[in-house]
Amino acid sequence: MWKFLLLAFRNVFRNRRRTLMTLTMVGGGVAGLLLVGGFFAFMFRGLRESTINNGLGHLQIYTANHFRRDETRALETGIDHWQQVAGVVSSGRHVRGVAPRIEFYGIISNGVKSSVFMGSAVDPDSEKGLGFTPRLTAGRDLDGKPSGEMEALIGTGVARSMNVKVGDGLTLLAVTSDGALNGVDVQIVGLVNTGYKEVDDRYLRITLPSAQRLLQSDRVTNLVVGLDATENTDQVWAELAPRLRGLPQEVTLKKWVELATYYNQVKTLFSGIFLFLGIIVFFMVVMSSVNTLLMAMLERTREIGTMLAMGTPRSWVVGLFVLEATLIGVLGALAGVVGGNLIGTMLNHAGLHMPPPPGLTVDLAFRVLHVPSLMIGSSLLVISSLALASILPAVRASRLQIAEALAHV
Amino acid sequence: MHDLVAMEEVSRKFPMDHSYVNALDHTNFRVVPGEFMAIAGPSGSGKSTLLNLIGCIDKPTTGRVLLDGVDTSTLKTTRLTALRRDKIGFVFQTFNLIPVFTASENVEFPLLLQGMPAQERRDRVSVALDSVGLTERAKHRPDLLSGGERQRVAVARAIVHRPALVLADEPTANLDTRNATQLIDLMRDLNRRLGLTFIFSTHDQRLLEHADRIVELCDGRVTSDRKSDSLSKRGQSCGSFSCSRLEMSSGTGAGH
Repeated sequence: MWKFLLLAFRNVFRNRRRTLMTLTMVGGGVAGLLLVGGFFAFMFRGLRESTINNGLGHLQIYTANHFRRDETRALETGIDHWQQVAGVVSSGRHVRGVAPRIEFYGIISNGVKSSVFMGSAVDPDSEKGLGFTPRLTAGRDLDGKPSGEMEALIGTGVARSMNVKVGDGLTLLAVTSDGALNGVDVQIVGLVNTGYKEVDDRYLRITLPSAQRLLQSDRVTNLVVGLDATENTDQVWAELAPRLRGLPQEVTLKKWVELATYYNQVKTLFSGIFLFLGIIVFFMVVMSSVNTLLMAMLERTREIGTMLAMGTPRSWVVGLFVLEATLIGVLGALAGVVGGNLIGTMLNHAGLHMPPPPGLTVDLAFRVLHVPSLMIGSSLLVISSLALASILPAVRASRLQIAEALAHV
Repeated sequence: MHDLVAMEEVSRKFPMDHSYVNALDHTNFRVVPGEFMAIAGPSGSGKSTLLNLIGCIDKPTTGRVLLDGVDTSTLKTTRLTALRRDKIGFVFQTFNLIPVFTASENVEFPLLLQGMPAQERRDRVSVALDSVGLTERAKHRPDLLSGGERQRVAVARAIVHRPALVLADEPTANLDTRNATQLIDLMRDLNRRLGLTFIFSTHDQRLLEHADRIVELCDGRVTSDRKSDSLSKRGQSCGSFSCSRLEMSSGTGAGH
């Protein structure tokens, strides 16, 4: 059998220029897929980590009712005795910390003008412990144990709209858990730029005690769990979920990916684009290879006739052509993987940056990740494309009339 | 002695435009093992068609072709493939060696098709190459061999699997006199020494002079089937053999 492999291998290099052209095309397709796929993988990873580190965390704990019905009053479906829940979670492996949160909304006013805010109340120390630090453009972060007035961070859009700066005061109005309207004065200690204009125009962040005073409740909306590495998310989820079932209040544990709507939308979009590119490469390889392989078959008509005359089974002729195409595919894929990784490394060292994508206000570093699964997938794609492309010429070769093939000039 | 080849009322027609061309017309003859037989005739007389039919790479329109007693005209493709692989060796006018294989790999090819073990293949190839005097050139690819050497490799390839029959289509047509003479001597020697049956088509007078028996074709009909000793003196021939058509019954073989 290895003699047939040898025959196929030598046939591949029979017309070196043509083989080189095919290899360049196949290798180029693989390299292109690796570069685009590597960049997308870098974007996904960056978006994933920024999504998690911007406050989403790796896991979040809500009451089960939170997802069953809408709240009619503030913190109606919040977590009671959240310290007990946090205690259960904190003891888990890979858990770096737990941060309680209250998500709420209300009206913010400077005494002259009012606007709607989307508020988040946090424990600053827990947040810092998990590395969730707001991107400040002015001032400082919230103090975990403020001595004076209630502190607040607002978005740059809110500051512009309210015409306020660090050190100024604002009034927050919200409906309490009892349904009454309540208000508190806060002092602006910092301005935040999240990178998303729509968020910056509504952003407010205060401490947990401030929000509990405003909303008149000891509950929290959720607990955010930070892990030592994103890759451990599934494992920790599997370990924690059973332990949380024994608590008095029914709670549910969500992975970050279930809550990262924007990340999932971006990933779906770019995966679609990558799939489209893969289809283009597939057709590019198939169409050009069919032509090349048909030419090779025509050139070897008499030789195939001779082989058939000597008693070579027609299935062997099919196998020979498919094997030759597969070999070209393997060599092309190898060249593509080497070339793609080489170009990717060079681009990474060039320190390129992309302009800010839609919805973001900061530019994006251009990096190409070396993803083994992508290398394997791209290689398999071109190898199978070539094997598929060889079927038509192979079948034609195997069906040659021997007498006519031997008379072929 | 039994017939190795028997042609019984064999005709082969090829479609051309809206009619047919009779490449072979009611041909009859028989070949016994060990014959060294030439098929002569001008271009278009049906020599290659006849060899194709004997070699099981074509089927007759009517009539029967029997190889070693088996009616090949009724066999399926796979059986014909096996028959060619096991019983027939081919030598072509243009050598038809596999260009990416060395001389020894080319000779080994029929044995690969038979699924022979590697050691036995090596031994057989060595003997075959030795018998054509090309042991020293075993590792050379065809493009590094002369025309004569290539044809000797082709002969080695045709005999390596010890076929019952070797078919050679104009084997000396592309060779100069010296190489042609060497090849004729080689084929004759293999015929005598190993008892191999050779059937070859040729225009080559040198080759015809060595044949035991000559079947002459003209316009798809056997016009002469005789022992070769009188060929050079014959008064009638066809085409390049300057003949008028001999209307003799195309039946009895000289070897019978």
